[in-house]
Amino acid sequence: MGVFDAMNVSASGLTAQRLRMDVASSNMANVDSTRGEFKNGVWEPYRRKMVVLGAGESSFKNMFNKAVNNGKMSGVKVNGVVNDQTPFKTVYQPEHPDANEEGFVQLPNVDPLKEMVDLMSATRSYEANVTALNAAKGMYLKALEIGR
Amino acid sequence: MDLFSSSVMKNLEMALDGSALKQKTISNNLANVDTPGYKAKETVFNQELKKSLQAHRTDQRHFSFGTESSSSFHVKEKTNTVMNHNGNNVDVDKEMAELAKNQLYYQTLVQRINGKFNSIKMVVKGGR
Repeated sequence: MGVFDAMNVSASGLTAQRLRMDVASSNMANVDSTRGEFKNGVWEPYRRKMVVLGAGESSFKNMFNKAVNNGKMSGVKVNGVVNDQTPFKTVYQPEHPDANEEGFVQLPNVDPLKEMVDLMSATRSYEANVTALNAAKGMYLKALEIGR
Repeated sequence: MDLFSSSVMKNLEMALDGSALKQKTISNNLANVDTPGYKAKETVFNQELKKSLQAHRTDQRHFSFGTESSSSFHVKEKTNTVMNHNGNNVDVDKEMAELAKNQLYYQTLVQRINGKFNSIKMVVKGGR
């Protein structure tokens, strides 16, 4: 076990939560973006994005450690950012430049409430990781005092 | 007499290692607090068990029981706690409490090691 393992693990948690926060912010910012992606000659609204988290990374070192110590502890890993496939919101707004012939506009499938909840959850998890990081730091500093 | 390899020093060393591993386990649980399907882990000490397994050695070449410092703690998965809707069973409040406890425990150990060193220093200086 390395000296800074606990800190690296906490750092991976911090990075993952920061990404969750970024993605939630991006979703919030694009709550009204009707031109998210250009597909087959037509503009599609922005699709809500979600972060998929997985435990640990699958490097050789970790697999080996898992086999030897039956404990896989290498922090958290972002497996990817996926699109939310729920249908877009449709609003009647004939004056909108992206309205169809009937006057309906497709708006992103972003729910600000959901994003706020996600944001709060990410913030709390981030704080927990910061606390763990500070605890590890305090312990290592204390260990340096051995033999003083 | 061996100055640094007394059982006290050895035990403290072992406990420090265990505490550091515990810190890593807690960090890992907190990092994976939002990972679907993740099962919380905990570091358990089985020093008492080891002690009770002490056996009488009939031959010097036999392996000794009990005081093996490397295997007195291990990591195991927590399976008895309530699951979240996504299969994750990390309890943040519990982990934070364990974190605080472990921090104090570690600092106490360091203090004790320092006490030990100070005694040795005292002897080396001849009580001056």
